[in-house]
Order: sequence, then structure tokens, then C-alpha cells
Amino acid sequence: MRNQRNPAFNLANGCALFAVLAVVLGMAAILCGIITVASVVRTPAGTPAPTQASIDLAYSPEKDALMQDIVARFNKSNFKTPSGLPMKINATKMDAGDMVEAARAGKFTAVSPDSSLWLAQIDAGRDTPLVGESTRFAVTPVVVAMWSDVAQSLGYPQKPIGWQDLLTQVKNDPNFKWSHPSSTTASGLLATLAEFYAGAGKTRNLTEDDLQNRATLDYVAALEKTVRYYGEGEQATIDQVLAKGRGYLDAFVVSERMVIYFNGKSSQKLVAIYPAEGTLWQDHPLALLEQPGLTDAQRLTYRRFRDFLLSSEIQKLVLQSGYRPVDLNMRLDDPASPIAKANGVDPAQPQTTLQMPSAAILDKVQSSWYLSKRPANIYLVVDTSGSMADQDKLKQAQDALSTFLDQVQGDRDRVGLVPFATTVYGVMPPKEIGAQRATLKNQVGRLAANGRTALLDAVSFAYDDLQQRNERDRINALVVMTDGVENASSIGLNELTQKVKRGNQSGVPVVIFCIGYGSDADFDVLNALANATGGFARRADPETIQKLYKTMSTYF
Amino acid sequence: MNRTRLIFFAVVILALVIVGISFLVQQLSGNIPSPTAQPIQVRIVCALPVEPWVQDAAQKFNAEKHTQDGRTIVVTVTPMDSVTALGKWDRGEFDPVPTVWIPDSRYLVELVNATYSAKLGRDVFLTDGEYRARPLVTSLFSWGIYQSRYDKLVAKFGEVDWKAVHDAATAKGGWPDLGGQSAWGYFKLIVPNPRKNAAGLLAMVSAAGEYYDKTTISTEDVTNPQFQKWLKELMDSVTDFSSLSSYTVEDLGLFGYSVGDGGQLLESDLLVNMQGIQTRWVEPLHIVYPKYLTWFDFPFTPWMGPETSASEKNAALQFEKFLLSTPIQSDAAARGFRPANTQVSISGSDSLFVKWKNQGAEAIVTRTARMHSPDRDTLQALLRWFDLNVAK
Repeated sequence: MRNQRNPAFNLANGCALFAVLAVVLGMAAILCGIITVASVVRTPAGTPAPTQASIDLAYSPEKDALMQDIVARFNKSNFKTPSGLPMKINATKMDAGDMVEAARAGKFTAVSPDSSLWLAQIDAGRDTPLVGESTRFAVTPVVVAMWSDVAQSLGYPQKPIGWQDLLTQVKNDPNFKWSHPSSTTASGLLATLAEFYAGAGKTRNLTEDDLQNRATLDYVAALEKTVRYYGEGEQATIDQVLAKGRGYLDAFVVSERMVIYFNGKSSQKLVAIYPAEGTLWQDHPLALLEQPGLTDAQRLTYRRFRDFLLSSEIQKLVLQSGYRPVDLNMRLDDPASPIAKANGVDPAQPQTTLQMPSAAILDKVQSSWYLSKRPANIYLVVDTSGSMADQDKLKQAQDALSTFLDQVQGDRDRVGLVPFATTVYGVMPPKEIGAQRATLKNQVGRLAANGRTALLDAVSFAYDDLQQRNERDRINALVVMTDGVENASSIGLNELTQKVKRGNQSGVPVVIFCIGYGSDADFDVLNALANATGGFARRADPETIQKLYKTMSTYF
Repeated sequence: MNRTRLIFFAVVILALVIVGISFLVQQLSGNIPSPTAQPIQVRIVCALPVEPWVQDAAQKFNAEKHTQDGRTIVVTVTPMDSVTALGKWDRGEFDPVPTVWIPDSRYLVELVNATYSAKLGRDVFLTDGEYRARPLVTSLFSWGIYQSRYDKLVAKFGEVDWKAVHDAATAKGGWPDLGGQSAWGYFKLIVPNPRKNAAGLLAMVSAAGEYYDKTTISTEDVTNPQFQKWLKELMDSVTDFSSLSSYTVEDLGLFGYSVGDGGQLLESDLLVNMQGIQTRWVEPLHIVYPKYLTWFDFPFTPWMGPETSASEKNAALQFEKFLLSTPIQSDAAARGFRPANTQVSISGSDSLFVKWKNQGAEAIVTRTARMHSPDRDTLQALLRWFDLNVAK
């Protein structure tokens, strides 16, 4: 008997089959899609496709305007990698010490410090170098900037002037004020090296023995004793000289480019002295950092940016900014070139340079500088009024003060503490930092916010104490921080500023640096105090206070 | 059609659909070439002096879409100083292994072969046959000295050679003792750091040759305390061994006579930077060919290890041929190199050799005594001496 199929069964069977087919087809399509997508996102070599083509670049502060301009032009050019990823540069201004630290912590993919000296520090002690491809895009020699009449009194331009002449001048004229940045900056380190060379009577082959030789150390100490104070870098120095005029300093160590910058902005004229014994160069490298995870696309972006820096368009910009471009075919004696005698600089200089010692000797120069530099008496004048309890301000300030205490490296530097609220309390007189660091940090950690703000009484107290100590061979300074408005002192602002001005003329010069902490700080009062002594006032908030205290530490 | 057959056909259709969709999607995506269409990569690690020339040539070559076995050839060039590359070869650190190495000199190829012969019992770079190392261009080492300083040295010593330079470097009173100006300071020599640049090593070899007045030097020669004292005095007049520069002539140009009165440098670098140096420092360099000649010959050297396929080697040979072609060799001549292709002249009116003839450049060098490449042990001894006595 033939099996008669039930039409209803067949229909049901067909529907089921169709459904199975549809499901299978759907799954197949999904599978196919997965396979395709997986193959598309993999490169032919089987490695994950690059997804990152931007470069995080840290650069030195004194070329801020130039670098911002260059980066803006680059980013606007919409360069792309062959795979279509946009090439972008994210640039951050940073001083050398922080840059080295951040690079070693893996925070940047490229750096452009003011000198290749810092590249060696990035790689110091590493088995595998972090610094990869590098180039230079601008150079400028380190010079001693002087007011033109001061330079003429030393024989400029007929007679070559050297470090020896500077020493003679400061010995003969106790009112002669000069400075160089701290040896944690390139020009500061180069200036220190030049002093050690001059002290050893050499321009090459500086040895460890030279650095330990008593006569050399005495020479450097004698020169350093005349330094008004150090500082965070050449841009800050120039800004201060621009703001305060020739009374601020008679001579200071900066790059040639800064002399041009100053003369373009001031009616008073500086000239660049290229020390006769020889100078050194800032060479502004751009270096790729071989950080883990660096992609080929980022490498391409680095190279594109490098080529962009070396392009005619940017090299012209470099020259206009007062740097010497690395493109040798750009004429320094072109009428439009700022490297001209009219700007106080000489394109045919320097005639000779000092020999760059090995990294080991440079380290020792830096250590020896801490022994030879002008020691400081510093009072940290700290507001602990009730308002400091707001927004975690006191906690941030305590951390910042602790950083400051860590940063002061000279064993002969003395630091003291003057906390104040309604009155001055818990004073710790200045003592050698090596012996007092832990106690000071402990005391800072115990500060509590309470009471009103006797700012002027606190400043007056600390100022009087430094005057009574009468230690002229030291830098004497107050670092004053407040978050509010003076409302509890017995002395008035005018009375205090008059006292300070008189005291600085007849007694020991004391410099007051001020920090206006938060938006409620009375900045006018702080400015008046700072200006009366040749110091300066700056603003900070809980996010920036630590950095600002760290910056302040470079002045000692 | 019964149910089993239906299922069977469904499965077959399904398989066809899957294959079809996959194929279509891949074709339409256009991102992934099929394996057979993938380009052949020729990865070149290239010595720094010739890298810009090779890089430009590679761009032209890639644009012309040359093929090997039906696949497009893509040449990529990585700049690397030969001393650094030598270390990477020695330590087996290249990953991926380059298809071709263009070092500064053939003697570096021999040094790598010496290492691998000890490890593998065979050479990894060939010195004869189709895949042998072939020089692409040559550049001699010659003295480049600022004209004002050159004039004083010649007046004082009669000629410029390593012995005269040593005496200048050790003059106690500096330039005033040599007839120059006090503002010039001491005599300053430019020598590249031999740990970063093979030219520095060759400068020491050349100095040793003139010290002993012979063209072959040995380990015994370079470990002689008298020679080492003499060499140390010479090296003490170098202002900076920490420099970033790949090309030391760049230092001479950027920082002028302030960092170096002169040095024995690559002729091509001197010629190509001569105009820029004169523009920047308003004074030209003077070129002097030394008594015993040393040079870089930049050999094109395919890697013979198992990592390189026959197709890659043949693709590399195509690029080598391209580099040796007349137009590309002419480009090399315009950059101050002496072309390996003898059909390309360097005596024409537009030649840098002719342009700077009055400054001492010679298209045909009359001095022909050649300094021989020292063996590996001698070179290592020089480098060790440098590390312990100069770089410390």
C-alpha cells in the first residue's frame, strides 16, 4: 500500500524546513559577518590595526609662543597617515625636571626640551634607551644679558668680556645685581659649568679633581655669593626684567634669543655678552620616546611633525622668533633677520665654546653647585585662617609645602615656618634644611584652619627676624601664602611696605614672594608687598599650588 | 523530493551561500587584498649619510609600482647608524629581520659575518655571487677646516695632517700659539662619537695610520701606551661627544667654529653643507685629502638568512638595480657622493666637486694610498679604549 502523504503534514514539514533554513542562513550570515569584520580589523601581518596616531609632546616653557603657533599650524594642516588616521600633536608646556620625570613615567611620546642634556637624563640608568629618533630645529647660544651702558663700562664692544670680568665687577660693586637660573634648567646648568671652568682656569678637560679643588670651589662660591637669587627659567627672568626695569638686575644668564625678545618689547636695551672663555648652546631637540605601545602610526606622525619643523615655512618662523634656524641656507645677516647687532646680538658669535664634559662630570657639577651656590634663609609664611578649611585648601597647601621642602636641596639652605591666623603662632626659626626637613614637614602636617587673617603681622614678624639675623652673604626671602583678606593685623600695609623698603636699603635685602591662594585672596596687598622688595606675586588654586611652590623652590 | 534530500540540498545551498557572501563582502570591503596580491616588502636598514638619498629613491621606486612574481614591491627605509645596527645584528635584535642592510662600509658587513660564522658556521651576507654586497656610492674622508684656521695651520705646520692637528690640539696657549686670534680659544677638533657613528671609529683608524705611517694597523699598534697617550691628547680637543648630530658636519654648520675648527669628515657631507656653512658663518671650509685615504662605500647587502624569501631577495635586487641606474646615481652625485655607476660623471660644471674646487675639493684625488680596514679585534680594542679613556 502506497503511503499517502498527508497534505497538512507536508505543509507543516515544509514550513519547519523553511524555518530551519532561515535560522541556519541567518546564523551563517552572522558568522560570515564576524569573520569579515575580524579580518578587516587586522592588518595583513596579523597584528592589531593602529588606532592611535596622535603624539603627546612636552616642550620647554621659553618657546611656548613659538611651539603653540607651530602645533596649531600642524594640526590645521590635517595630515593623515596612509590608513587615514588624523595626525595630531597634543602639546604641553613643561619645565625640564618635570619633563624628564614624566617621560620616564611613560606620559609623553615626544619631548622638546631646551637642550639635549635632558635627553641623556631621560635615559640615565635605563637598560633600554627611551629616547629614539631625534633632530634639532632651532639653536641659540647661552649669553650674559647686560644693559648696554653696563656692558660698555666693562669695555664692550671693543674688549671681549668673560666670566672673570663679571667676577671683578661684582667684587668691586656690591650693588651689582646678577642672576642665573637654577642648575635644574639648561641655561642655569650651562652657567654653572662655565663658572667651574673659569674657576679651574680651563676651557676643556674638567675633571673630578677640579670639581673638588678648594680654589675652584672658592671661586665658584665667590661668584655665586653675588647672585641675587636663582629662578625657574629664562622666560620668568625676562618677564620680571620687563616688568620691573633695570633696577631688577644688572646682568643675567639667558639665551641669545631672550635678548632679542626683550629688545623687541622694551625701550631700554640689553646686549648679549658671549663670554670670552667660551659659552654653550641650547640646541632644542625634538625626540621620539620609544614608550611601550608606541604605534607605527604615531611614529609616522612624529616624522611628519619633524619634517614640518624643518620645513622652510617653520624655519622662517623659528628665525623670526629669534632662534637660529637649523636650515643653514637661511641667512642670519638678512635685513629681516632679528639676529642682528641692532638687537644687541652678533651672528658671528660665539667664537668659542666650552667643552661639554661627560654625563658623570655634569652630575658632579650639579652636586658641587649645591655646595657652592649662595645659601638662603627662607621663611614660609602660611595662612591657616578658617577659610583655609574650604575646598580642601589646607590639605593641598600642606602637600605643596611638603614638596617645597623636598625640592630645597642645598644643605646650607635654612628654612623656617611662620604660620598665622588671628595671630602668628608656632614659629619655627630657619635652620639648615637637612637637619630640619622632617620636623618642618611634621609641623606643616599638623597645621589646622581656624581664626582670622593677620597677614601683615606675619610678614612683618618674619621680615624683622631676617633683618636681625643680618646675614648678607645669603639670599633672604619670604614665601608668603594667603587665601583671604587681611583683617587682624596691628600693622597697616603702607607702614609695612615703607619699613620693608627702608630696611632693604639700609639692612639686608629681603625678597618677598607671594602666593594668592584661591579667588578670595587680596592680590593687591600681595603685589604691593612683593613689589616693595623686587619679588613677585602669583595666583594659585588647589590644583596648581603644588606646582607653584615647586617653582618657588628654584629661586633658592 | 523526500525530506532527507531536501535537507541535503539545503545544506549544500547554505554552504554555497556562506562562501559566496564571504567572498562578496571581502571583495566589496576592498581593504584586504587576497594573499597572492599582497605586496612584497623590502625592508632596508640604511646608514645615515645615504639615507635621504635612498629614501627619496624608494619613494620614486614605490610610485613606479615595480613587481616581482606578479606582486607589487614596496620598499621601506629605516635610518640607523651602522654602529647601532652592528650591535643589533650581533645581539640578534632585529625583529623583523631587514631584507637589506646598507651600512657605511663593507668592513662592517665583514664584522657581522665574523659574528655569524662563529654562531652558524656560515656567512649571512655574501661577498660574491648574485646577492653579494655591492657598493652603491663612495665618499672619502677628508679634512674640513674653517678657512681662517686652515691658513694659520698651514703657515705653522706646512700642511694639515693628524700630526699637525695633534700639535695644534696640544698647544698650551691655544690659537695665539698657532698664530691665530685669542678669541678663537683652543684648537677644537670635531670627531663623531665612535659609539654612535662609524665615522668616529674610522677617524681613529686614520689617525693611527698616520701615527705609525703605515696603511695596516693591528691590535698591538692601538694598545701601545705611547700611541694611546698621543690619541688621548688628540681626543681631549673634541668639544662634545654627547652631541645629537648624526652628521658631524651638521655641528660644524650649526655651531660653527665655536665648537670645532675642523675635523676629518665625510666628503659628501662637507660638499653638500659647504654653501650653508659659508652662508651661516661667512667663512667657507677648506678641504684637504689625507695621506692615507679611508672611505665609506655603502654596500647594498641582502640578508641571506631563512627569514628572507627568494621573492624578497629578488625584489631587493630590483631596487638595487634602480639605485645603480643613471638617474638615481646622478641624484647621488648631486648630493656629493662618488657614484658606483661609472657612466655618471662628477666632473661636469654643475658638480659639487667642481663648484668647490677652489676650496680643495678634487673630483679625481691624486693621493691613492689606501688605509686598510683593521680586523674586528683591533676595532674592538679602539672602542674599548675610547669607552675607558674618553667617554667616561
